[in-house]
Amino acid sequence: MTESRVQTGGGPTVQRMLVGARLRRLRTELGLSREEAAQAIRASEWKIHRLENGQVGFKERDMVDLLALYQVRDPSEVADFLTLAREANTPGWWQHYGDVLPQWFRTYVDLESAAALIRTYEGQFVPGLLQTDDYMRAVVHGAHLDQTAEEVGRRVRLRMARQTLLTREQPPRLWAVIDEAALRRPVGGPEVMRGQLERLIEATKLPNITLQILPFTTGAHPAMFGSFSVLRFADQQLPDVVYLEHLTSALYLARRDEVERYLDVMELLCVDSEPPARTVELLTGFLNELEHW
Amino acid sequence: MADDWTTSINTSVPNPARIYDYFLGGKDNFPADRDVAEQLLAIAPVAREVVEDNRAFLRRAVRVLTREAEIRQFIDLGSGLPTQGNVHEIAQAVAPDARVVYVDNDAMVVTHSRALLAGDNTVAIQADLREPDVILGHPEVRELIDFDQPVALLCMAILHFIPDDQNPFAIVARFRDALRAGSYLAISHGTRDVPVRSDMSEAEMAEMGARVERLYQLTTASLVTRTRAQVERFFDGFELLDPGVVEIQRWRPEDWSSMPGGFYGGVGRKRPAGSLRA
Repeated sequence: MTESRVQTGGGPTVQRMLVGARLRRLRTELGLSREEAAQAIRASEWKIHRLENGQVGFKERDMVDLLALYQVRDPSEVADFLTLAREANTPGWWQHYGDVLPQWFRTYVDLESAAALIRTYEGQFVPGLLQTDDYMRAVVHGAHLDQTAEEVGRRVRLRMARQTLLTREQPPRLWAVIDEAALRRPVGGPEVMRGQLERLIEATKLPNITLQILPFTTGAHPAMFGSFSVLRFADQQLPDVVYLEHLTSALYLARRDEVERYLDVMELLCVDSEPPARTVELLTGFLNELEHW
Repeated sequence: MADDWTTSINTSVPNPARIYDYFLGGKDNFPADRDVAEQLLAIAPVAREVVEDNRAFLRRAVRVLTREAEIRQFIDLGSGLPTQGNVHEIAQAVAPDARVVYVDNDAMVVTHSRALLAGDNTVAIQADLREPDVILGHPEVRELIDFDQPVALLCMAILHFIPDDQNPFAIVARFRDALRAGSYLAISHGTRDVPVRSDMSEAEMAEMGARVERLYQLTTASLVTRTRAQVERFFDGFELLDPGVVEIQRWRPEDWSSMPGGFYGGVGRKRPAGSLRA
Protein backbone atom coordinates (compact mmCIF):
# COMPACT_ATOMS: atom_id res chain seq x y z
CA MET A 1 0.00 0.00 0.00
CA THR A 2 2.64 2.51 0.99
CA GLU A 3 4.26 2.58 -2.41
CA SER A 4 1.32 4.35 -4.00
CA ARG A 5 0.82 6.89 -1.25
CA VAL A 6 0.71 10.42 -2.58
CA GLN A 7 4.34 11.47 -2.49
CA THR A 8 4.35 15.24 -2.11
CA GLY A 9 2.11 17.35 0.04
CA GLY A 10 -1.00 15.53 -1.03
CA GLY A 11 -3.09 17.09 1.70
CA PRO A 12 -6.35 15.76 3.01
CA THR A 13 -8.51 16.03 -0.10
CA VAL A 14 -6.36 13.79 -2.23
CA GLN A 15 -5.64 11.36 0.58
CA ARG A 16 -9.38 11.02 1.13
CA MET A 17 -9.92 10.43 -2.58
CA LEU A 18 -7.23 7.75 -2.51
CA VAL A 19 -8.62 5.96 0.51
CA GLY A 20 -12.12 6.25 -0.96
CA ALA A 21 -11.02 4.85 -4.31
CA ARG A 22 -9.41 1.87 -2.58
CA LEU A 23 -12.51 1.20 -0.52
CA ARG A 24 -14.61 1.28 -3.68
CA ARG A 25 -12.29 -1.16 -5.42
CA LEU A 26 -12.34 -3.57 -2.49
CA ARG A 27 -16.13 -3.43 -2.34
CA THR A 28 -16.74 -3.89 -6.06
CA GLU A 29 -14.19 -6.71 -6.31
CA LEU A 30 -16.31 -8.63 -3.84
CA GLY A 31 -19.47 -7.74 -5.72
CA LEU A 32 -20.97 -5.99 -2.68
CA SER A 33 -23.52 -3.23 -3.08
CA ARG A 34 -23.22 0.15 -1.35
CA GLU A 35 -26.24 -0.83 0.67
CA GLU A 36 -24.54 -3.93 2.03
CA ALA A 37 -21.47 -1.89 2.93
CA ALA A 38 -23.66 0.73 4.57
CA GLN A 39 -25.24 -1.87 6.87
CA ALA A 40 -21.82 -2.87 8.16
CA ILE A 41 -21.18 0.64 9.45
CA ARG A 42 -24.79 1.41 10.45
CA ALA A 43 -25.01 4.18 7.88
CA SER A 44 -26.78 5.10 4.66
CA GLU A 45 -25.90 4.16 1.13
CA TRP A 46 -25.27 7.88 0.59
CA LYS A 47 -22.60 7.84 3.28
CA ILE A 48 -20.73 5.06 1.46
CA HIS A 49 -21.04 7.04 -1.74
CA ARG A 50 -19.52 10.10 -0.06
CA LEU A 51 -16.76 8.07 1.63
CA GLU A 52 -15.77 6.45 -1.63
CA ASN A 53 -15.64 9.82 -3.37
CA GLY A 54 -13.40 11.30 -0.69
CA GLN A 55 -16.01 13.86 0.27
CA VAL A 56 -15.97 13.14 4.00
CA GLY A 57 -13.39 12.17 6.60
CA PHE A 58 -13.07 8.65 8.01
CA LYS A 59 -13.93 7.40 11.48
CA GLU A 60 -11.55 4.70 12.63
CA ARG A 61 -14.35 2.41 13.76
CA ASP A 62 -16.06 2.64 10.35
CA MET A 63 -12.80 1.84 8.62
CA VAL A 64 -12.18 -1.22 10.80
CA ASP A 65 -15.69 -2.53 10.13
CA LEU A 66 -15.50 -1.91 6.40
CA LEU A 67 -12.09 -3.58 6.09
CA ALA A 68 -13.43 -6.61 7.96
CA LEU A 69 -16.39 -6.77 5.58
CA TYR A 70 -13.99 -6.47 2.62
CA GLN A 71 -11.89 -9.35 3.97
CA VAL A 72 -8.77 -7.27 4.50
CA ARG A 73 -7.21 -9.31 7.30
CA ASP A 74 -3.47 -8.78 7.04
CA PRO A 75 -2.74 -6.64 10.16
CA SER A 76 -0.07 -4.56 8.42
CA GLU A 77 -2.43 -3.82 5.55
CA VAL A 78 -5.13 -2.76 7.98
CA ALA A 79 -2.63 -0.57 9.83
CA ASP A 80 -1.52 1.05 6.57
CA PHE A 81 -5.12 1.80 5.71
CA LEU A 82 -5.77 3.37 9.10
CA THR A 83 -2.63 5.51 8.89
CA LEU A 84 -3.67 6.74 5.47
CA ALA A 85 -7.15 7.50 6.76
CA ARG A 86 -5.73 9.41 9.74
CA GLU A 87 -3.48 11.45 7.44
CA ALA A 88 -6.53 12.18 5.35
CA ASN A 89 -8.10 13.82 8.38
CA THR A 90 -5.19 16.18 9.14
CA PRO A 91 -5.11 19.75 7.79
CA GLY A 92 -2.98 20.84 4.84
CA TRP A 93 -0.28 23.54 4.85
CA TRP A 94 -2.66 26.14 3.49
CA GLN A 95 -4.64 26.26 6.74
CA HIS A 96 -2.43 29.22 7.74
CA TYR A 97 -4.11 31.25 5.06
CA GLY A 98 -7.60 30.35 6.20
CA ASP A 99 -8.85 33.91 6.50
CA VAL A 100 -8.11 34.85 2.88
CA LEU A 101 -8.81 31.43 1.53
CA PRO A 102 -12.43 30.42 1.18
CA GLN A 103 -13.19 26.76 1.79
CA TRP A 104 -13.87 26.08 -1.88
CA PHE A 105 -10.45 27.33 -2.83
CA ARG A 106 -8.66 25.33 -0.12
CA THR A 107 -9.72 22.16 -1.84
CA TYR A 108 -8.19 23.42 -5.05
CA VAL A 109 -4.86 24.33 -3.43
CA ASP A 110 -4.83 20.87 -1.94
CA LEU A 111 -5.52 19.10 -5.22
CA GLU A 112 -3.09 21.32 -7.12
CA SER A 113 -0.22 20.48 -4.79
CA ALA A 114 -0.83 16.76 -5.35
CA ALA A 115 -1.26 16.82 -9.12
CA ALA A 116 1.30 15.31 -11.47
CA LEU A 117 -0.08 17.21 -14.45
CA ILE A 118 -2.00 20.48 -14.41
CA ARG A 119 -3.67 21.40 -17.68
CA THR A 120 -5.33 24.77 -17.75
CA TYR A 121 -7.05 27.08 -20.20
CA GLU A 122 -7.18 30.74 -19.21
CA GLY A 123 -9.21 33.14 -21.31
CA GLN A 124 -9.04 36.26 -19.15
CA PHE A 125 -5.76 36.42 -17.31
CA VAL A 126 -2.38 34.80 -16.87
CA PRO A 127 -2.75 31.54 -14.89
CA GLY A 128 -2.23 32.07 -11.16
CA LEU A 129 0.80 29.79 -11.00
CA LEU A 130 2.62 32.08 -13.44
CA GLN A 131 1.52 35.53 -12.23
CA THR A 132 4.02 38.08 -10.97
CA ASP A 133 3.47 39.76 -7.63
CA ASP A 134 2.50 43.09 -9.27
CA TYR A 135 0.19 41.49 -11.81
CA MET A 136 -1.59 39.63 -9.07
CA ARG A 137 -2.01 42.78 -6.96
CA ALA A 138 -3.52 44.48 -9.99
CA VAL A 139 -5.94 41.58 -10.49
CA VAL A 140 -6.98 41.68 -6.82
CA HIS A 141 -7.38 45.45 -7.04
CA GLY A 142 -9.38 45.20 -10.25
CA ALA A 143 -11.73 42.68 -8.67
CA HIS A 144 -12.79 45.34 -6.10
CA LEU A 145 -12.69 42.80 -3.30
CA ASP A 146 -12.50 45.72 -0.87
CA GLN A 147 -9.69 44.21 1.14
CA THR A 148 -7.19 45.82 3.46
CA ALA A 149 -3.56 46.06 2.42
CA GLU A 150 -2.85 43.34 4.98
CA GLU A 151 -5.38 40.96 3.41
CA VAL A 152 -4.06 41.66 -0.09
CA GLY A 153 -0.55 41.00 1.18
CA ARG A 154 -1.53 37.62 2.59
CA ARG A 155 -3.36 36.72 -0.58
CA VAL A 156 -0.28 37.50 -2.63
CA ARG A 157 1.94 35.51 -0.27
CA LEU A 158 -0.39 32.54 -0.58
CA ARG A 159 -0.14 32.76 -4.37
CA MET A 160 3.63 32.87 -4.12
CA ALA A 161 3.57 29.83 -1.82
CA ARG A 162 1.47 27.98 -4.39
CA GLN A 163 3.96 28.86 -7.11
CA THR A 164 6.83 27.12 -5.35
CA LEU A 165 5.32 23.81 -6.38
CA LEU A 166 6.62 24.42 -9.92
CA THR A 167 10.22 24.50 -8.74
CA ARG A 168 10.10 21.90 -5.96
CA GLU A 169 11.72 18.50 -6.36
CA GLN A 170 9.63 16.28 -8.60
CA PRO A 171 7.47 19.20 -9.68
CA PRO A 172 4.20 18.68 -11.52
CA ARG A 173 4.02 19.51 -15.20
CA LEU A 174 2.02 22.59 -16.04
CA TRP A 175 0.56 22.60 -19.55
CA ALA A 176 -1.25 25.89 -20.01
CA VAL A 177 -3.17 27.34 -22.93
CA ILE A 178 -3.46 31.12 -22.61
CA ASP A 179 -5.82 33.10 -24.78
CA GLU A 180 -4.26 35.95 -26.74
CA ALA A 181 -6.81 38.24 -25.03
CA ALA A 182 -5.22 37.55 -21.65
CA LEU A 183 -1.80 38.48 -22.99
CA ARG A 184 -2.87 41.71 -24.65
CA ARG A 185 -4.89 43.17 -21.78
CA PRO A 186 -2.38 45.35 -19.88
CA VAL A 187 -3.42 44.38 -16.37
CA GLY A 188 -1.82 46.90 -13.99
CA GLY A 189 -0.63 49.04 -16.93
CA PRO A 190 2.17 48.53 -19.45
CA GLU A 191 4.97 48.33 -16.88
CA VAL A 192 3.31 45.57 -14.86
CA MET A 193 2.34 43.77 -18.04
CA ARG A 194 5.89 43.96 -19.37
CA GLY A 195 7.15 42.29 -16.19
CA GLN A 196 4.46 39.65 -16.53
CA LEU A 197 5.26 38.85 -20.18
CA GLU A 198 8.95 38.62 -19.33
CA ARG A 199 8.08 36.26 -16.50
CA LEU A 200 6.19 34.03 -18.95
CA ILE A 201 9.17 33.96 -21.30
CA GLU A 202 11.32 32.87 -18.35
CA ALA A 203 8.77 30.22 -17.40
CA THR A 204 8.98 28.57 -20.83
CA LYS A 205 12.59 27.70 -20.02
CA LEU A 206 11.56 25.39 -17.19
CA PRO A 207 11.43 21.80 -18.45
CA ASN A 208 8.15 21.11 -16.65
CA ILE A 209 6.25 24.06 -18.11
CA THR A 210 4.55 24.05 -21.50
CA LEU A 211 2.81 27.19 -22.72
CA GLN A 212 0.63 27.42 -25.79
CA ILE A 213 -1.09 30.55 -27.02
CA LEU A 214 -4.58 30.43 -28.48
CA PRO A 215 -4.50 33.18 -31.11
CA PHE A 216 -7.36 35.52 -32.04
CA THR A 217 -7.12 34.16 -35.57
CA THR A 218 -8.62 30.89 -34.34
CA GLY A 219 -11.98 32.66 -34.13
CA ALA A 220 -14.67 30.75 -32.28
CA HIS A 221 -13.21 27.94 -30.18
CA PRO A 222 -14.60 25.16 -27.99
CA ALA A 223 -13.79 26.85 -24.64
CA MET A 224 -15.64 30.11 -25.11
CA PHE A 225 -17.74 29.14 -22.08
CA GLY A 226 -14.77 30.06 -19.91
CA SER A 227 -11.55 29.08 -18.21
CA PHE A 228 -11.03 25.67 -16.64
CA SER A 229 -8.33 23.34 -15.35
CA VAL A 230 -7.89 19.59 -15.41
CA LEU A 231 -5.78 18.06 -12.66
CA ARG A 232 -4.24 14.63 -13.13
CA PHE A 233 -2.71 12.55 -10.34
CA ALA A 234 0.06 9.99 -10.60
CA ASP A 235 -1.99 7.32 -8.87
CA GLN A 236 -3.81 5.23 -11.45
CA GLN A 237 -6.85 4.88 -9.22
CA LEU A 238 -7.46 8.60 -8.94
CA PRO A 239 -9.66 10.16 -11.59
CA ASP A 240 -8.83 13.45 -13.25
CA VAL A 241 -10.57 16.40 -11.61
CA VAL A 242 -11.97 19.38 -13.51
CA TYR A 243 -11.96 22.71 -11.71
CA LEU A 244 -14.23 25.60 -12.65
CA GLU A 245 -14.04 28.83 -10.69
CA HIS A 246 -16.90 31.28 -10.18
CA LEU A 247 -17.08 34.55 -8.25
CA THR A 248 -18.26 33.03 -4.99
CA SER A 249 -17.60 29.33 -5.37
CA ALA A 250 -15.98 26.69 -7.48
CA LEU A 251 -17.10 23.50 -9.09
CA TYR A 252 -15.17 20.23 -9.05
CA LEU A 253 -16.05 17.52 -11.48
CA ALA A 254 -14.68 14.04 -11.03
CA ARG A 255 -17.38 12.01 -12.78
CA ARG A 256 -15.68 10.40 -15.70
CA ASP A 257 -18.28 11.30 -18.33
CA GLU A 258 -18.21 14.97 -17.28
CA VAL A 259 -14.43 15.12 -16.99
CA GLU A 260 -14.08 13.64 -20.44
CA ARG A 261 -16.22 16.37 -22.01
CA TYR A 262 -13.72 18.89 -20.67
CA LEU A 263 -10.72 16.78 -21.67
CA ASP A 264 -12.15 16.62 -25.16
CA VAL A 265 -12.37 20.44 -25.22
CA MET A 266 -8.83 20.68 -23.85
CA GLU A 267 -7.53 18.42 -26.62
CA LEU A 268 -9.26 20.52 -29.27
CA LEU A 269 -7.87 23.74 -27.76
CA CYS A 270 -4.32 22.42 -27.65
CA VAL A 271 -4.54 21.29 -31.25
CA ASP A 272 -5.97 24.70 -32.29
CA SER A 273 -3.37 26.68 -30.36
CA GLU A 274 0.05 27.68 -31.61
CA PRO A 275 2.61 24.94 -30.88
CA PRO A 276 4.79 25.51 -27.79
CA ALA A 277 7.83 26.21 -29.95
CA ARG A 278 6.20 29.47 -31.12
CA THR A 279 5.31 30.81 -27.67
CA VAL A 280 8.45 32.86 -27.00
CA GLU A 281 8.28 34.51 -30.40
CA LEU A 282 4.63 35.47 -29.84
CA LEU A 283 5.26 36.74 -26.30
CA THR A 284 8.15 38.83 -27.59
CA GLY A 285 5.79 40.31 -30.17
CA PHE A 286 3.31 41.32 -27.44
CA LEU A 287 6.18 42.83 -25.44
CA ASN A 288 7.27 44.93 -28.40
CA GLU A 289 3.74 46.20 -28.86
CA LEU A 290 3.73 47.44 -25.27
CA GLU A 291 6.49 49.86 -26.29
CA HIS A 292 3.92 51.84 -28.23
CA TRP A 293 1.80 52.62 -25.19
CA MET B 1 -1.57 24.35 -37.02
CA ALA B 2 -2.96 24.84 -40.47
CA ASP B 3 0.19 23.77 -42.29
CA ASP B 4 -0.02 20.32 -40.74
CA TRP B 5 -1.22 17.20 -42.42
CA THR B 6 -4.52 17.15 -40.58
CA THR B 7 -5.77 19.34 -37.76
CA SER B 8 -8.80 17.37 -36.76
CA ILE B 9 -9.28 15.18 -33.74
CA ASN B 10 -12.38 13.22 -32.95
CA THR B 11 -12.52 11.51 -29.60
CA SER B 12 -15.74 9.69 -30.47
CA VAL B 13 -14.01 7.51 -33.07
CA PRO B 14 -11.82 4.76 -31.60
CA ASN B 15 -8.17 5.50 -32.17
CA PRO B 16 -5.29 2.97 -31.98
CA ALA B 17 -2.99 5.37 -30.10
CA ARG B 18 -5.58 5.89 -27.38
CA ILE B 19 -6.49 2.18 -27.25
CA TYR B 20 -2.78 1.53 -26.68
CA ASP B 21 -2.76 4.22 -23.97
CA TYR B 22 -5.66 2.44 -22.25
CA PHE B 23 -3.80 -0.89 -22.28
CA LEU B 24 -0.78 0.83 -20.72
CA GLY B 25 -2.89 2.27 -17.91
CA GLY B 26 -2.91 5.83 -19.30
CA LYS B 27 -5.69 8.35 -18.79
CA ASP B 28 -5.76 9.88 -22.28
CA ASN B 29 -8.45 7.60 -23.65
CA PHE B 30 -12.15 8.09 -24.24
CA PRO B 31 -15.23 5.83 -24.06
CA ALA B 32 -15.04 4.83 -27.74
CA ASP B 33 -11.42 3.74 -27.27
CA ARG B 34 -12.13 1.80 -24.08
CA ASP B 35 -15.08 0.10 -25.71
CA VAL B 36 -12.91 -1.32 -28.51
CA ALA B 37 -10.10 -2.12 -26.06
CA GLU B 38 -12.47 -4.15 -23.90
CA GLN B 39 -13.79 -5.99 -26.94
CA LEU B 40 -10.19 -6.73 -27.90
CA LEU B 41 -9.52 -8.15 -24.46
CA ALA B 42 -12.59 -10.34 -24.80
CA ILE B 43 -11.22 -11.79 -28.05
CA ALA B 44 -7.55 -11.88 -27.05
CA PRO B 45 -7.16 -11.76 -23.26
CA VAL B 46 -3.37 -11.40 -23.62
CA ALA B 47 -3.69 -8.12 -25.57
CA ARG B 48 -2.72 -5.99 -22.58
CA GLU B 49 0.38 -8.07 -21.85
CA VAL B 50 1.38 -8.00 -25.52
CA VAL B 51 1.20 -4.19 -25.51
CA GLU B 52 3.35 -4.10 -22.37
CA ASP B 53 5.75 -6.60 -23.95
CA ASN B 54 5.96 -4.31 -26.96
CA ARG B 55 7.03 -1.39 -24.74
CA ALA B 56 9.62 -3.66 -23.13
CA PHE B 57 10.89 -4.72 -26.57
CA LEU B 58 11.17 -1.06 -27.59
CA ARG B 59 13.15 -0.38 -24.42
CA ARG B 60 15.59 -3.25 -25.03
CA ALA B 61 16.00 -2.43 -28.71
CA VAL B 62 16.74 1.26 -28.03
CA ARG B 63 19.24 0.33 -25.31
CA VAL B 64 21.05 -2.09 -27.62
CA LEU B 65 21.05 0.52 -30.39
CA THR B 66 22.41 3.22 -28.09
CA ARG B 67 24.92 1.12 -26.11
CA GLU B 68 26.20 -1.49 -28.52
CA ALA B 69 25.57 0.11 -31.91
CA GLU B 70 26.36 3.61 -30.56
CA ILE B 71 23.46 5.14 -32.43
CA ARG B 72 22.76 8.75 -31.48
CA GLN B 73 19.91 9.57 -33.90
CA PHE B 74 16.46 8.02 -33.83
CA ILE B 75 13.36 8.48 -35.95
CA ASP B 76 10.33 6.97 -34.22
CA LEU B 77 7.58 6.39 -36.78
CA GLY B 78 4.07 6.18 -35.36
CA SER B 79 5.35 7.18 -31.94
CA GLY B 80 1.95 7.24 -30.21
CA LEU B 81 0.92 9.11 -27.07
CA PRO B 82 3.71 9.93 -24.62
CA THR B 83 3.96 7.34 -21.84
CA GLN B 84 6.51 6.12 -19.31
CA GLY B 85 9.88 5.43 -20.94
CA ASN B 86 9.74 7.31 -24.21
CA VAL B 87 12.51 6.76 -26.75
CA HIS B 88 14.53 9.88 -25.91
CA GLU B 89 14.39 9.06 -22.20
CA ILE B 90 15.70 5.54 -22.81
CA ALA B 91 18.38 6.68 -25.26
CA GLN B 92 19.46 9.76 -23.31
CA ALA B 93 19.87 7.69 -20.14
CA VAL B 94 22.72 5.98 -22.01
CA ALA B 95 23.84 8.85 -24.25
CA PRO B 96 22.67 12.31 -23.16
CA ASP B 97 23.38 13.67 -26.64
CA ALA B 98 20.97 11.26 -28.37
CA ARG B 99 18.52 13.00 -30.70
CA VAL B 100 15.01 11.80 -31.42
CA VAL B 101 12.35 12.71 -33.97
CA TYR B 102 8.84 11.59 -33.07
CA VAL B 103 6.56 11.18 -36.07
CA ASP B 104 2.83 10.55 -35.94
CA ASN B 105 -0.08 11.37 -38.22
CA ASP B 106 -2.53 11.91 -35.36
CA ALA B 107 -3.10 15.52 -34.30
CA MET B 108 -3.70 14.68 -30.64
CA VAL B 109 -0.59 12.50 -30.46
CA VAL B 110 1.58 15.21 -32.01
CA THR B 111 0.11 17.92 -29.77
CA HIS B 112 0.89 15.83 -26.67
CA SER B 113 4.34 14.94 -27.96
CA ARG B 114 5.18 18.59 -28.62
CA ALA B 115 3.93 19.60 -25.19
CA LEU B 116 5.41 16.76 -23.15
CA LEU B 117 8.42 15.38 -25.04
CA ALA B 118 9.96 18.19 -27.06
CA GLY B 119 13.24 19.57 -25.77
CA ASP B 120 16.66 20.53 -27.01
CA ASN B 121 17.29 17.20 -28.65
CA THR B 122 13.80 16.03 -29.53
CA VAL B 123 11.18 17.21 -31.99
CA ALA B 124 7.72 15.94 -32.83
CA ILE B 125 6.32 16.34 -36.31
CA GLN B 126 2.95 15.53 -37.79
CA ALA B 127 3.39 13.39 -40.88
CA ASP B 128 2.25 10.11 -42.33
CA LEU B 129 4.79 7.35 -42.68
CA ARG B 130 3.22 6.48 -46.02
CA GLU B 131 4.89 9.65 -47.29
CA PRO B 132 8.58 8.95 -46.58
CA ASP B 133 9.81 11.87 -48.67
CA VAL B 134 7.74 14.34 -46.65
CA ILE B 135 9.34 13.03 -43.44
CA LEU B 136 12.86 12.77 -44.85
CA GLY B 137 12.66 16.28 -46.28
CA HIS B 138 10.89 17.89 -43.32
CA PRO B 139 12.84 21.00 -42.20
CA GLU B 140 12.68 20.06 -38.51
CA VAL B 141 13.94 16.56 -39.29
CA ARG B 142 16.79 17.91 -41.44
CA GLU B 143 17.72 20.32 -38.69
CA LEU B 144 18.00 17.64 -36.00
CA ILE B 145 19.17 14.59 -37.95
CA ASP B 146 22.47 14.38 -39.81
CA PHE B 147 21.86 11.86 -42.59
CA ASP B 148 25.61 11.51 -43.15
CA GLN B 149 25.65 9.71 -39.79
CA PRO B 150 23.88 6.44 -38.92
CA VAL B 151 20.23 6.70 -37.94
CA ALA B 152 17.95 4.17 -36.24
CA LEU B 153 14.48 3.99 -37.74
CA LEU B 154 11.92 2.64 -35.28
CA CYS B 155 8.68 1.11 -36.59
CA MET B 156 7.08 -0.16 -33.40
CA ALA B 157 3.61 -1.62 -33.75
CA ILE B 158 2.94 0.61 -36.75
CA LEU B 159 3.57 -1.27 -40.02
CA HIS B 160 0.61 -3.55 -39.29
CA PHE B 161 -1.57 -0.50 -39.94
CA ILE B 162 -0.35 -0.37 -43.56
CA PRO B 163 -2.15 -2.92 -45.75
CA ASP B 164 -0.30 -4.46 -48.70
CA ASP B 165 -2.12 -2.33 -51.26
CA GLN B 166 -0.44 0.74 -49.71
CA ASN B 167 3.01 -0.72 -50.40
CA PRO B 168 4.49 -1.04 -46.90
CA PHE B 169 7.60 -2.82 -48.24
CA ALA B 170 8.29 -0.05 -50.75
CA ILE B 171 7.79 2.55 -48.01
CA VAL B 172 10.37 0.93 -45.72
CA ALA B 173 12.74 0.51 -48.69
CA ARG B 174 12.45 4.24 -49.42
CA PHE B 175 13.51 5.06 -45.86
CA ARG B 176 16.32 2.49 -46.11
CA ASP B 177 17.68 4.11 -49.25
CA ALA B 178 17.82 7.51 -47.53
CA LEU B 179 19.92 6.15 -44.65
CA ARG B 180 23.66 5.57 -44.85
CA ALA B 181 25.15 2.11 -44.37
CA GLY B 182 25.46 1.19 -40.71
CA SER B 183 22.04 2.63 -39.95
CA TYR B 184 19.47 0.45 -38.20
CA LEU B 185 15.87 -0.60 -38.58
CA ALA B 186 13.81 -1.91 -35.64
CA ILE B 187 10.35 -3.35 -36.17
CA SER B 188 7.62 -4.88 -34.07
CA HIS B 189 4.58 -6.21 -35.86
CA GLY B 190 1.34 -8.02 -35.05
CA THR B 191 1.02 -11.63 -36.19
CA ARG B 192 -1.46 -14.46 -36.10
CA ASP B 193 1.26 -17.10 -36.28
CA VAL B 194 0.90 -19.68 -33.52
CA PRO B 195 3.19 -18.77 -30.59
CA VAL B 196 6.08 -21.17 -29.93
CA ARG B 197 4.67 -22.25 -26.58
CA SER B 198 0.95 -22.42 -27.08
CA ASP B 199 -1.80 -24.96 -27.02
CA MET B 200 -3.74 -23.01 -29.63
CA SER B 201 -4.21 -24.52 -33.06
CA GLU B 202 -3.43 -22.70 -36.27
CA ALA B 203 -7.15 -22.45 -36.97
CA GLU B 204 -7.85 -20.92 -33.57
CA MET B 205 -5.06 -18.36 -33.98
CA ALA B 206 -6.28 -17.51 -37.48
CA GLU B 207 -9.80 -17.03 -36.16
CA MET B 208 -8.58 -14.81 -33.30
CA GLY B 209 -6.46 -12.76 -35.71
CA ALA B 210 -9.36 -12.31 -38.08
CA ARG B 211 -11.64 -11.12 -35.29
CA VAL B 212 -9.02 -8.63 -34.07
CA GLU B 213 -8.61 -7.33 -37.62
CA ARG B 214 -12.37 -6.93 -38.00
CA LEU B 215 -12.55 -5.01 -34.73
CA TYR B 216 -9.84 -2.60 -35.87
CA GLN B 217 -11.95 -1.71 -38.87
CA LEU B 218 -14.05 0.34 -36.41
CA THR B 219 -11.01 2.49 -35.61
CA THR B 220 -9.20 5.20 -37.54
CA ALA B 221 -6.67 2.64 -38.81
CA SER B 222 -7.29 -0.91 -39.95
CA LEU B 223 -4.93 -3.66 -38.86
CA VAL B 224 -3.24 -6.36 -40.89
CA THR B 225 -1.26 -9.13 -39.22
CA ARG B 226 1.70 -10.67 -41.02
CA THR B 227 3.70 -13.89 -40.90
CA ARG B 228 7.30 -14.14 -39.78
CA ALA B 229 8.49 -14.38 -43.41
CA GLN B 230 6.56 -11.25 -44.30
CA VAL B 231 8.02 -9.33 -41.36
CA GLU B 232 11.51 -10.52 -42.38
CA ARG B 233 10.91 -9.07 -45.83
CA PHE B 234 10.91 -5.55 -44.30
CA PHE B 235 14.58 -6.12 -43.48
CA ASP B 236 15.59 -6.48 -47.12
CA GLY B 237 19.01 -4.79 -47.39
CA PHE B 238 19.62 -5.13 -43.65
CA GLU B 239 21.60 -7.69 -41.72
CA LEU B 240 19.51 -8.96 -38.82
CA LEU B 241 21.06 -8.82 -35.37
CA ASP B 242 20.75 -11.97 -33.27
CA PRO B 243 18.32 -13.60 -32.71
CA GLY B 244 16.66 -12.41 -35.95
CA VAL B 245 12.94 -11.85 -36.30
CA VAL B 246 11.40 -13.61 -33.30
CA GLU B 247 8.50 -13.16 -30.94
CA ILE B 248 9.21 -9.87 -29.15
CA GLN B 249 9.28 -11.58 -25.76
CA ARG B 250 12.19 -13.71 -27.04
CA TRP B 251 14.27 -10.87 -28.48
CA ARG B 252 17.17 -10.58 -26.00
CA PRO B 253 14.83 -10.93 -23.02
CA GLU B 254 15.74 -9.60 -19.62
CA ASP B 255 13.34 -12.01 -18.03
CA TRP B 256 11.84 -15.15 -19.51
CA SER B 257 8.53 -14.99 -17.71
CA SER B 258 6.49 -13.39 -20.50
CA MET B 259 4.52 -15.78 -22.66
CA PRO B 260 5.68 -15.42 -26.26
CA GLY B 261 3.33 -14.46 -29.08
CA GLY B 262 1.26 -11.74 -30.63
CA PHE B 263 4.04 -9.63 -32.08
CA TYR B 264 7.23 -10.32 -34.01
CA GLY B 265 10.22 -8.09 -33.52
CA GLY B 266 13.68 -7.65 -34.96
CA VAL B 267 16.56 -5.22 -35.40
CA GLY B 268 18.69 -5.02 -38.55
CA ARG B 269 21.81 -3.13 -39.67
CA LYS B 270 21.91 -1.63 -43.15
CA ARG B 271 24.50 -3.28 -45.35
CA PRO B 272 27.08 -1.23 -47.24
CA ALA B 273 26.08 -0.27 -50.79
CA GLY B 274 26.91 -2.90 -53.39
CA SER B 275 26.95 -5.79 -50.96
CA LEU B 276 24.99 -8.84 -51.97
CA ARG B 277 21.51 -9.31 -50.68
CA ALA B 278 21.11 -12.20 -48.33
